[in-house]
Amino acid sequence: MTPSTLPGISVEVSPLLTRLAAERATGALLRDRGTLFLEDGRIVHAESPATPGLDVLLTTGGGLAPERWREAVDRAGARRQVARFLVDSGGLAGGELEICHLAAIFDAAFFALSPGSGPSRFRRGATHWIGSMRSVPAAAVERETRRRRELLDAVWPYPLLDTAPVVPRAAAPGQTVTARQRLLLAQADGIRTPADLAWVLGRPAFHTLLDVRRLAAAGLVDTPHAPAPAPVEAPLPDWMTQAQPPDVALLRRLRDALEASL
Amino acid sequence: MPGIDECLLEAMTLPGARGAALVDWSSGLALGTVGESPVGDHETTAAETAELARAAAEYESFAPAAPETGTPDPAGPPLEDLIVTTRTGYHVLRFVETSFDSSVFLHLWLDRADGNLALARHRLRALAEGLVLR
Repeated sequence: MTPSTLPGISVEVSPLLTRLAAERATGALLRDRGTLFLEDGRIVHAESPATPGLDVLLTTGGGLAPERWREAVDRAGARRQVARFLVDSGGLAGGELEICHLAAIFDAAFFALSPGSGPSRFRRGATHWIGSMRSVPAAAVERETRRRRELLDAVWPYPLLDTAPVVPRAAAPGQTVTARQRLLLAQADGIRTPADLAWVLGRPAFHTLLDVRRLAAAGLVDTPHAPAPAPVEAPLPDWMTQAQPPDVALLRRLRDALEASL
Repeated sequence: MPGIDECLLEAMTLPGARGAALVDWSSGLALGTVGESPVGDHETTAAETAELARAAAEYESFAPAAPETGTPDPAGPPLEDLIVTTRTGYHVLRFVETSFDSSVFLHLWLDRADGNLALARHRLRALAEGLVLR
């Protein structure tokens, strides 16, 4: 439970991010699976194609009308003050926007910083149109990203669940299914993946991955099985495969012995 | 228009307050922290209190299923707060209801000698509502 006290897992998630944080850089760190925006070395925003953006998170539950979001982007986007506009115009409470924005940052960062997210590029000076809200230290984001990876595997170590369609299973007699789980299962049609469900439900993608792993651990979602690894053709040793020349002398002695005994 | 930090700092003005945090109970992430943590590490405390809050928010005895009325379930759990008393302190966890799908609560840790549980519960409720007040 306490990653900071365990040795050996304090590997850097992204050496480039650590360096940019140390030199208090401002700009956008672009990776295959997402972009982190830095201001003075702190992370002020993040987005990833794998996660629903702020607009989806805020508007899906009906808390913010999509028109109000569009209005804020139209009127304050060029000034890069969309967040401030949303709060000042009464569309959203300041605290709510901070909560949602932080959730979106850590969510996008989890995917942007995932292993195998390819090479990183840094666009110095680039900023995001959402504007300034809270910022988080890069080290905190890296630490949380690591904790989240470990949490997923601690819950149910089957990474295939993260990308496979979610297939619900009937609850066992007497098994309770919670309200949040029911909302998720109701949308799981055997085709939607956890990422699809995150968009439909307006929840962060990591939360959906975690919920699906918990559901699978409880037996309420099928755990897909990895296809059996193709058998490796291990070459047999030569002494086994290569026919050895028959021992002619031995055969002769055998024949002679047999003939003599007849 | 109070933000997370203002809300936590105000919680710390309560008598006996030792530490406060805003935590996401689904993932165990601390969205904001002030003061001390009982174990010296806010992230560990957040992960632990989140497990407790999640259990309370999800067990049917505390959060019964809404009757099938055709209307969608409200975003937040029907829980208000969760109180844990120890020999040396009080912990008050107050669930925050937001207009979008979220899973956050305020956690306030109070010293047993100076803390006033009733007052803290009352104030935390106001603070949780203030976070989402437009």
